Formats: sequence, C-alpha cells, structure tokens
Amino acid sequence: MMSSNPYQPTLARLCEVIEETPTIKTFVVEPPEPFSFKAGQFAQLTVPGVGEAPFTPSSDPDEPDRLEFTVIRTGRVTDVLHTLKPGDAVGLRGPFGTGYPIDEMQDRHVLIVGGGCGLAPLRSLIYALFHQMDRIRSMSIRYGARESRELLYHRLYEPWADKPKVEVACTIDRPEPGWSGHVGVVTTLLENLNGQAAETIAISCGPEIMLKFVTATLLERGLPADRIILSMNRRMNCGIGKCGRCNIGPYYLCREGPDIHYDKIKDLPNVF
Amino acid sequence: MAMWTVREQNLAALLTAGTFSERYVPVPVNGSGGFARWTGGTELARPLRAPRSEDALKAFCFSPTQVVARYGGETKTAESEPVAPTPLRLVVGLRACDLAAVRYLDRVFTSPPGNDPFYEAGRASQTIVSVDCVRPHETCFCNLVGGQPWATEGFDVNLTPIEGAYVIEAGSQAGRALIEAAGDCVVEATPEDLARRDQVRHQAEEALASANGAFAADWKPRDGVAHDADSAAWDRLGADCVECGACTQICPTCHCFFLCDRAADGRSFERLRGWDSCLWSGYSRMAGMDRMKPNPRAQFRSRFANRFLHKFVWSPQQWDLLGCVGCGRCVEACPGAIDLRKVMCEVQV
Repeated sequence: MMSSNPYQPTLARLCEVIEETPTIKTFVVEPPEPFSFKAGQFAQLTVPGVGEAPFTPSSDPDEPDRLEFTVIRTGRVTDVLHTLKPGDAVGLRGPFGTGYPIDEMQDRHVLIVGGGCGLAPLRSLIYALFHQMDRIRSMSIRYGARESRELLYHRLYEPWADKPKVEVACTIDRPEPGWSGHVGVVTTLLENLNGQAAETIAISCGPEIMLKFVTATLLERGLPADRIILSMNRRMNCGIGKCGRCNIGPYYLCREGPDIHYDKIKDLPNVF
Repeated sequence: MAMWTVREQNLAALLTAGTFSERYVPVPVNGSGGFARWTGGTELARPLRAPRSEDALKAFCFSPTQVVARYGGETKTAESEPVAPTPLRLVVGLRACDLAAVRYLDRVFTSPPGNDPFYEAGRASQTIVSVDCVRPHETCFCNLVGGQPWATEGFDVNLTPIEGAYVIEAGSQAGRALIEAAGDCVVEATPEDLARRDQVRHQAEEALASANGAFAADWKPRDGVAHDADSAAWDRLGADCVECGACTQICPTCHCFFLCDRAADGRSFERLRGWDSCLWSGYSRMAGMDRMKPNPRAQFRSRFANRFLHKFVWSPQQWDLLGCVGCGRCVEACPGAIDLRKVMCEVQV
C-alpha cells in the first residue's frame, strides 16, 4: 500500500460508524485496495483538510478490505473525525511499525491487559490469535474502564470467553448502583497470574499511567521485563523514522514499535 | 591518485564548466556568510578562504517548508504529489563538517522503512565542490567529534586553497568530468603544490587544536546523566536557554519535521512538511486529557537533555554516526551563549 511517496494518503470510503461508548466510535473503512497489516501495526488516518493521527486497526488482520478504527474523541483531528458520516472520505497511509511479536507468544500463556480505548489495538491481536489458538497455551484478557458505560466492546466479552482456552475479566473504577462486577483499577485483576508467570507473556495498551502500574505489577508478579510488551504512546507523525518526534531514547516508535519490550526502554529517560 | 591545480584567476573557468543550471557559492553576508546563486561574476578567493558559512546547507535537499502531498478534490482520489525535477546544481564551498552532515542526513532520509523521495531528488541533482577550512571559526570543533578541517570523502571535487591557487582532488566520476570540462585552465599538481596543501592542512589542524584545548576530552555522557534526562544538571546547563530553537534550525544534521494539512484551492488539500525543533514544548505533545500526561517531555530539562543525548548517545546507536559534526553553528546562533562544548564537558564520563 506504501506508495513511492510515503507522505501521500490514499483516499478511502467510510462505510459505517459504530457508537461504542459516549466518547468512542468505531469507523469502518473500505480502502480502494486491500490494506494488509499485521496485528499491532498502525495506519495514519487523515481527516481531509484537518490532518492525520495514528491508529492501530481494531479489526481482524485477515480482513484487509474492511478496516475498523476505534477512536476516542480527544483532540483536534479526532474531534472532526467523530463528526464524519458513512460515505465521507478519509485518507490512509501505512501500515507502519513492527506489529505484535506473535512468534514470541508460541507455547505461552498470553496475558492481554487493556485500559479504556487501549482495548482497540489489542482486539486486532485477539482476532489474530483466535486464528492460531493451537500455537498458544491460553489467552487471558484483563480490561478496565472508568465506568460501566465506557466498557468498550462489552458485547464481545461473553463470546470471547466461550472460546476454549480464553478467559475474560473486566473491572471499572467508579461503580454505579446495580453494578455487580469487579471494582478497581485493572491491576487489581492481576493479583495472581494463575501461578504461570514463568510461561506468560503480557501485552498491554492503555493510558501511560496505567501502563506504568501494569508494568510494576507484572514485574512484582515475576514476569521478566523482556516479556512485558507495552503500546507506548508517542506522537508518531511521519511513520517512517524520519521526523524524530516519537523517540524513546534511540527507538522511533513508528519504526521499532509502537509496541515495545519493556526491557529495551526501562533505563531510558521519559518513559512514563 | 591524480591531483590538479587551478590558478586563482582560472577558478571561475573551472566552476563554470559543465552543464549545471544553477551554481551556488558562499557569499560574505554579515560576516562569514551564506550561499547565493552565482553566475561567474563575483570573486571567490575571499569566501573560500573564510570560515564555514553561517547557514547550514540542509535546505538544498530538505526544504524548510515544502508541499509533499495533495489529495481530495472532485474525483475523491489522491494523486501522488510528483517530486518536481530539481535543476542540476553545483554547490561550491561545503566544508568537511558539512559533508559529514550530508552523510548523516543521507542515512536518515534514505533508509528503511521508507525513503524520502524529495530529499533523494535533491541529492541526485547535486554536485558538490568542497573546500578545506584554512581559517576555522572560534566556534569550530570538528576535531573534537572525530573530524578534521578537510574532507576525505563525500565530495565530487575538493579544493585546497594555497597561495594564489587551489589544489584539486576528484572524488567521483562527476568530479572528474567537471575537471576535464575545464580544459587547459587545470594543470597537474606539482610536488610543491602538494607540499603546500599539506602545510595548509597542518596549520588549520593546529589552529583547531589550540582553540579547543580547553574542551578536548571524551564526550561520552556519564550513565547517570545519559539515563536521567530529569537530572537537575540539565536545568543548570540550560538555564540560559530561551527555547528559540535556533540551534536546531541552524544545525546541519537536525532533521525533525512536522506534517500539517491545509486547504489548497477549496476543493483539494495539501500536506506541508516543515522543520520542527525538539526544544519546542509542543513538539511531542499528544492529543488527550492533561492527566493522561500527553507530553512525554513536558519539562524543559527533558527537552534540553534530549537534544544532546540524541546527538551523542542515540545517533550512534541509530545510524552508527555521531549526530554532531562539530561545525559550531549552534554555539554561534544561541542567544543565551550556550556552548555545546561546555555542556558536553560537564556531562561527560
């Protein structure tokens, strides 16, 4: 999909907009030609005339002709994106980044920890792993949101949990009357790793403050730093390691990430 | 290796040979000068023997602002912005530090996962005539970052100014073609010419060594500093920084940029690429609520440290090259009189 001009967006049609939560929508995009990506790779999505922002598709990488981007409304580009309707045009560049290291999940318990809109990119990983469940030992999805109405993809938890070897747990910080589920931040769902720390690999995506506490908790539970993979939030702009602004130390997240092993960055400045 | 000599009065004949549509030479403006189009009229003896230019030359291949894409319009299709053919350019007067910077930017802009076609087009159209530094600036310190005041690679033609003449070395096929096109005004260098070249180089090297004697050291930042951009040491060293970004704009290797979109003609849009600076507070700010900490380098000292750590610690890991070529332009440009050499001496191992 990468044209010879890496800054040139390809125009694509927005075919559906799904309201997920009061602040999150999923935008279904039909690219003019299949947009092949690996789970965890991201695209630069252009709102025509407004600009670009980086998003990892939340859809199944096996469906490159129908991409979904689940986006929280939180800034200049996403404010306008949230006003778009089916039929409108958006621009696409990419895919960029390395994608999740699925090979490293072979024969391991895969622990997926999401917070808020961070479940969006993780969903593409979940779908990718569903196609190869025989390669992994199990999948545990641990997800936290602030309120029950902000639980992303809540209709999917049950069907996911019904699959063999898959376990789903969610929690909210601020319970309202009638909530009978777990209460607390997402780290409270990491009390024990089923005694399987030695065979577990964790992948986490969410706000930076959450990643910080998830990392601390996982280290405490005995997970080594090279088996904690974090979707670090940085301002990725060019997508090809040139513009400089998404660095953590020597790593450009648009090129070496956006998901990166914690052991690579743990001693670098301004990580959390 | 064949070497040639051109007399001062024949230099213009050498530099107007060949079929270039544009020629650029250093011109003395406000002191050491910038670069300007040249058609053969003005004299070059003085500017070629002056210290390096004030302007860095990255703008020739990496424009401060440039349209890099267009999209939208009635057809709802995006057409790739064609890379405009760059006129064939002869650029005269680059120094060894400038060539080291070209080497650095070549590595950044033409490496996976995507080459920058605009930079590539600029480079492909460029023929470089470099010149030895015979008179370094007081801010020059190429000798402290593994350089020297003359180039050994990266040029098409190199000139060493000697008294009343220049010793010529060809560095490429294009350079040899230029020398051949100059015809009789270029003669084979005599052993005396070559001895004078060695002498000129030796003198420049001595001048640099003595100017930088106080700073000479191994500039490998201490672990404690390199790994802690929040160290208060950076606040102290950057106390006089006003965050103007002059050091990054003038730096020949700094290449940070942003992309922004705007309406082009009411029906379509264009995407601009513009120089940016890692010192500016909005540089790495992201969308999001404040409590999500959307700016990983919200603190000044983190940004100030990032500039030095990138050049001296991370660039070697990324590109196998130091991010500093020792031209000293940042020292000259800084309104707060921050001297990179002093900063590096303070934070070294």
